Parts: sequence; C-alpha cells; structure tokens
Amino acid sequence: MEASEDWLVESLRLYQDFHAFDLSGATRVLEWIDDKGVFVAGCESLKKNEILHLILPLRLSVKENQGLFPERDFKVCHGGFSDKPVFDLKHVPETRLLLTSGLPGCSLQVWQIAEDSDVIKAVSTIAMHEEEESLWPRMAVFSSVAPGVLHGARLSSLKITDLESQKIMYASGVGDREALSSLQVLGADTFAFCCTSGRLGLVDIRQKWAPSESPGPGSGGGRWCAEVRSRDQDPGPSIASLGSNGQLCLLDPRDLCHPVSSVQCPVSRPSPDPELLQVTWAPVLDNCLAISGFDGTVQVYDVTSWGGIESQVEPLFTHRGHIFLDANELDAAPLVTTHIWHPCKPRTLLSAADDASLHVWDWVDLCASC
Amino acid sequence: MGSHGGTVVKNSAANPEFGSSNLPAAPWKPHGGAGQDVGRSCILVSVAGKNVMLDCGMHMGFNDDRRFPDFSYITQNGRLTDFLDCVIISHFHLDHCGALPYFSEMVGYDGPIYMTPPTQAICPILLEDYRKIAVDKKGEANFFTSQMIKDCMKKVVAVHLHQTVQVDDELEIKAYYAGHVLGAAMFQIKVGSESVVYTGDYNMTPDRHLGAAWIDRCRPNLLITESTYATTIRDSKRCRERDFLKKVHETVERGGKVLIPVFALGRAQELCILLETFWERMNLKAPIYFSTGLTEKANHYYKLFITWTNQKIRKTFVQRNMFEFKHIKAFDRAFADNPGPMLEVKMQVEYMSFSAHADAKGIMQLIGQAEPEHVLLVHGEAKKMEFLKQKIEQEFRVNCYMPANGETVTLPTSPSIPVGISLGLLKREMAQGMLPDAKRPRLLQGTLIMKDSNFRLVSSEQALKELGLAEHQLRFTCRVHLHDARKEQETVMRVYSHLKSILKDHCVQHLPDGSVTVESILIQAAAHSEDPGTKVLLVSWTYQDEELGSYLTSLLKKGLPQAPS
Repeated sequence: MEASEDWLVESLRLYQDFHAFDLSGATRVLEWIDDKGVFVAGCESLKKNEILHLILPLRLSVKENQGLFPERDFKVCHGGFSDKPVFDLKHVPETRLLLTSGLPGCSLQVWQIAEDSDVIKAVSTIAMHEEEESLWPRMAVFSSVAPGVLHGARLSSLKITDLESQKIMYASGVGDREALSSLQVLGADTFAFCCTSGRLGLVDIRQKWAPSESPGPGSGGGRWCAEVRSRDQDPGPSIASLGSNGQLCLLDPRDLCHPVSSVQCPVSRPSPDPELLQVTWAPVLDNCLAISGFDGTVQVYDVTSWGGIESQVEPLFTHRGHIFLDANELDAAPLVTTHIWHPCKPRTLLSAADDASLHVWDWVDLCASC
Repeated sequence: MGSHGGTVVKNSAANPEFGSSNLPAAPWKPHGGAGQDVGRSCILVSVAGKNVMLDCGMHMGFNDDRRFPDFSYITQNGRLTDFLDCVIISHFHLDHCGALPYFSEMVGYDGPIYMTPPTQAICPILLEDYRKIAVDKKGEANFFTSQMIKDCMKKVVAVHLHQTVQVDDELEIKAYYAGHVLGAAMFQIKVGSESVVYTGDYNMTPDRHLGAAWIDRCRPNLLITESTYATTIRDSKRCRERDFLKKVHETVERGGKVLIPVFALGRAQELCILLETFWERMNLKAPIYFSTGLTEKANHYYKLFITWTNQKIRKTFVQRNMFEFKHIKAFDRAFADNPGPMLEVKMQVEYMSFSAHADAKGIMQLIGQAEPEHVLLVHGEAKKMEFLKQKIEQEFRVNCYMPANGETVTLPTSPSIPVGISLGLLKREMAQGMLPDAKRPRLLQGTLIMKDSNFRLVSSEQALKELGLAEHQLRFTCRVHLHDARKEQETVMRVYSHLKSILKDHCVQHLPDGSVTVESILIQAAAHSEDPGTKVLLVSWTYQDEELGSYLTSLLKKGLPQAPS
C-alpha cells in the first residue's frame, strides 16, 4: 500500500492525465474507431467473452486540460458476446463491421454493430480452410470501396478475402509454412508481414509473390513482431522489429537486409509470453515508439539518435501504473497484454494488462524543457 | 398427491386465489416531464398481497408539481394508509426522500415509514434546507412546511442493519449496508416465502470513509437495482483522488490558497481524509480551509454514526479523531480579506461525478451475491441496456426487466405452500407395506381442506365426517368388444391367462362365477346380442382404481394373443 501511495504522489509529476479502469476480463486487443472510441475483447477459452465498444472519457476529448470535467469514465456504447477467445480485432473503416480472430484458428468472425440498440451481433464467419491446431490467423483490413481482409496464420495461407462476396481476391501462393506474427496494410496495394522468426517482408499484391525481404535476425532466436511507421513523410528507418529477448531493430524499407540500428532494451527477458510482444510507432511524436509484453510496463523510446549496433538505451518514459495499481497484490505481477497510441494526442496511450486493467495515460516529457 | 385424488394445486401461478405473486413495480411517471439525468425514485411493489412503497423522491429539475410523484397512480379511491402496508426510504438524498413530507402530510399517509437511524437523523435537515430555499428564497407555493416535516418524521420507525422488522404478522423487512452515503441501505421485503430486494443507491467499491455494499445469498424472487451507471466503466478511485491532489498541489505551488465549498454530505469527509493522508508526502505547507455550515453538522453526524462508516475510519477514530484534521481549518469569512490570491477549487463539479454508484461490474457483483430469480433495472435507458440485460441473463440465468416510468411488471412466482397431512392418512399409507422410495413416487388419495389460512390433507372419510357428508361410491364400467367365436367361459379363460402373464405385480384371479378380478376390478364376458363372433367384456372399477382400470381397458382393447388351438 505504501509503495502505491508513493507512486501516486510521483505520478503527479510524471503524468498530465492518468485514468485506470477495471474491465470484467483482460483484453489482448485495443482497436480505435474514430478517435473517440476503442474496442476491447475478452480472451479466455472456457467462458463467454465480451466485445466492448467503449467511448473514451469526455475529459480526454478536450483540447486543453481545463481540469473541470465531470466525465471521467468509459461508457460502454455497444457490447457483444464471443464464445471463442478474441486475440485480434479489426474494425472495417467506414462500416459498422468488425472482424475477430482467435483460437481455434479455423475461421474469422464477422460482427455488426447495431444501429438501434447497443448490441454487437455475430453475422457471419470466414472459413480459413486450413487445419491449424495452435495458430490463429493474423488480420489486416484493406479498406476500399469493397473492403477485404488480409489474413493468414502462415505465409502459405496468406489470402485476401472480399468481405461482401467472401471470394478470395488474392493468395500468396507459396508453400513456405513459416508462422506469421503480424500483418499490416500499408497502402491500397501493399502490405507488410513479420514472421515469428523475425523475417520481414513488404508485398505488392499487384505482382506475383516477390516481397522485399529481410532474412531476420538469425542468431537472436526467440519470437519477433514488427510495425511499419504509417507516416512515410519522415526520413529514416520506418520499420521497428522487436524480439522476445529484448532486442529492438530499426530498418529502412529500402534496405531490409541491413538494419539501421539494433539495441538491447532494458527489459526483463525473455518475455514470459512472447505472443504478447508489441512495438508501436507514435502517430504524432517524431521518432518515438513504444514497446510492451515483457512485464507490467510500457516503455517509450526516442529513436532519433539511434544509429549503432548493440548499444544500450534508456526509455524516454516507463509506465508503471499496472504494477502499482495492481489490485491483487499477492498474485504474480501483471503482464501488459497490449498498448496503443492515441491517434491525435501526442503523448497519450492506452495500455491493458492481464489483470483486466485498462489505463489511459498522458505522460509528461520531463526532458522537453532541457 | 396426484392428479387423481384430492385437489392439490401445483402451480399457484395458474390460480390467482392463493400464492400467485403479482409484483408490479412502477417507477412513477413524471407529470409530463421527459427523461432526466438525475431521476427520482418512487417504486410500488406488491408482494403476495402486501403493498410497499420504496422511496419517495423529489425531482430536482422541476420547480412545480412535476417534482413530486403522481400518487394517484397508487389507488384511484381509498386511502393510501389503507392500501400501503409501509413506506421504506433507502437514504437521505432528496431524489429518494424529498417528496416524503408532501406524501405523508399533504396527500395523506399515516402508516409506518422505515429508514435507518442515520437517514432518520439527516433527512429532516436536508428537507428543511430544501424547503427554506424553495419557499423563503424562491417563494414557491404548494410546498410542505417545517411543521409537516416534523409531523412526517414522527411516523418514522428506525431499522438497524440486519435486523428483521415485522411490519405485520406476514410482512417483514430487513436492511443491508449499501455504502454510497452515510446510512444508505438496501432493503429486503419478505412475505412468507416470497421476497423482493430493493437496492436504492449503492456502490460495490469501498470509499475512504464508507464500506462497500454487501448482501447475503438471500435468493429473492426479485432484485430491483438502480442502473444509472450500468453502462459505465468507472475510473478508479485512485485516479480521481490523484486528480484532486494534483489540483490542490498545483494551486499551492502557485502560492494560492485552497477553499473547498462543500455541498455533498460525506464527500467533504472523503476529501479531508484524502488530503490528510497525503499531506506529508506531498510536502504541502499552505493551509487548507473548509467552509463551515453544513460541514459542521455533517461532521457531527459522522461522529454520531461512526459504526456506519468504514472499518478503517473506525480504527483510526480510536487513535485520533479522524474528523478533526491537522492541516485543515474552518474557513472564517474574515480570511477572504487576507492578502494573497484566493483560488476557489471548483472540484466539486469534478468530484460530484465521483458519486459512488454501482457500475456494470458492481451490478453484476451484487446480483452474484444475492442470487435473485429475476432482476429489474431502474433508471436506465432501455435501448442502451440491451447488452447489460443479455449479460445478466446469460451470466446468472435469470430474467431481466427494464420497465419504463409508469410501467408495471408482473412476475410469476411459484411459492411453496405448506400442507399438513393427517396422521391417520400417513399411517394408512404406511400400512400398505411398501417403504417410501424417492425414485418411485406413489399415488396417495386424500382430500385437501382449506380453512382460514390453513391447508390440511386428510383421508376422505375424515373429510366427509368433518363436512357432514355421506360417502358415495363411484363405479366405472367399460365395454370392450373382442372377436372371439368361442363360448364366454373360454374367452374369460383367455383373458385370465393373458392378464396373469402381464400383470405380475397385481393380484389376478379367476372366480368360480366366471369373472376375472384384477385387484378390485371386475371383468366379465358376455355374448354380443347380435353378433355371435363377438364377445363383450364388461370391465368395472371403482373411482379409487381409475388408473388401473383405464390401463386394463386399453390393454384389452388391443386384443388377446392368439390361443394355441
């Protein structure tokens, strides 16, 4: 109790804003819908899981923090039930549709957000046609006039399915059975993939399978994930790749074979659950990214000056809220399951942990004035 | 007791004369008013013929009669005192008790009004305050007077936590701790085996000064719970406190003074306790002032009702008086003239939303504790609660209702009706030899006598004796046609052999006069008057053997097995 009260006083200095919520079940997904709503979903195997569309507290929607805000709670705008655990959730932009993926990995579920009530209903499934025991398909949405979902658990099963007709519009057509850890749509015709081995690729769907690839960190081992920065007007490396051993690599898409930098993050390693590893680029701040999945923290790094190999780095900020506000003080320390940046507020993030906590925090850049 | 003997009613819902539970729960319709953020609570519940009014709130948003509930809903004619068995007030907030003096003194009710002791102490203060503002300051007419408040409070009977109070010889009520504000309680209303629990306002997470609501596994037929914040996931108490501390800290750092205007009873204590706890850690040097007035009275009542506060408070109270603060002083108007910037912290607006109500998680917790058969949500918007309704229905396998204002909900219940069985009847059954077997229910013949509120099962003879009636015998006879060209005696033999082989558990006899008996059932054969190839079996039985008789008849109608020639 003492430690958490000390941290609370510390937090006055560390955060502009800080909100902590308890969900009824832990979530592994955080997905935006416009900049005011976010989806979370339960991930337990033996019970009904809830999919919730939450509206951010009004207080956070305000430009300036006037402090005089009555609304500081999340509102449950819509909710639905899933029999399967949800490991990934994607909103199809400009529609009322959601896609979820989990175990067993034999299908994706399509959901509809009701207009006249607060219910999220399952409407259809997209069969995967592959027998997978412990792998679940990753997803990314190609949003266009006819939206399609890119999905696959392995390189060989990568496909794009048209949502309306359920026809397969694209298939990788390769026999390579490497397992995938993430998929990301980059443009109308391009996407990026990252395999669990760390092997990365950028694919143009107009061509037969011929991705620009990075072989992956070979010697490192462990499990990897990656994210490509969406803002491509910035120069410099725009791909970040994170390994379960704490290694973080930055790559330039023009030369995927030679990482621009490779650092060792000060995290407890290896990650207790490498499937939960996450690296995300800040949408507003320049050259900032966040990582989580090693412990109960989320670490923010400024990668501006990174250029070397194997250098030691320190995070710009570490969010420790999940550790200090942990309700079950006697149980094992919580593990952050996912995090996401606010699309427009520069230093605001949302993070969730396996103790069903959900935090919204706006950290103070203590070095800003230096 | 079977459907052949007596007249036992299994499903009382089918017979409204006894046992059925109509539970209309009607939140009051505002006089033409529309939906509101802070509603008013006033619910009528009917349990096994007893009528209870839950809360009697005033709507703070209206300045005219619309602020009071429309009591003509209760009964068009007849006195409220006759119709209502009692009134229960859950806590001192005006949206739960504000219309009470109007109801009891201006509309007219002289029956008991139940509430907890802190509610009883604090209600009249708030009512008088509100009256002063409405009448003296705003000049409103048709408002209750100070004397009316006093007269109303004379009708109050205090109820302590977990104490069962007998309202009359059938209706009892019990109060449970609700948290929320000092003295707030949830009430169980019980008539025989049927009960309703009304939560009032409650919260499931403890404050710094109040504990969390708690109820035992009382399994009421119906749980009525407020759901104003049902679609909310609340920011943690820690973070709310953090924001408050941040504001105080920033103000003090800037060299300002902090003045906290207090309107809400209870919250003042919360803030004081919070500041005191963090004072040293935060290195706060400047004084913090509390405006007096309502606060003083509040402090007085908190000290008086210390047992209603949180465990932690009670422990600390023993060590030092938690309601006297080291760093927080009473504000004297004279201070306003001191030099230095004065900053009024308008945190009460921010903090007001900190009003401790149950959110979705809290409601689920309470339902899990009480294990009701049905759940009724009040104060929510139906369209926005379909998900919560499904959640409750799925998680707890109960029905969930969300009536609109003025709507009535009726819930069927199957109450258990105890029936006494006469010793003579029991002994006769036992004398039949077979021991009771839970897996093989037996048919028992008897007569149910309902007199006053008593139910007895007695033997028919005893019933006849009591009622002074003579016994009549009822005998059924059925004709079964069989194709058999042989003589009657041979047909009878065939019937005898057939029945003997099938009815191994029964006594089947062939009598010298040519008839067959199965227990007391008589079977005789006669030739058909017109068709020599057909025999007519006469099967005859008494009312008591109706089941076996019907069975035999259908068996014989299937025909006899071919006899070997």
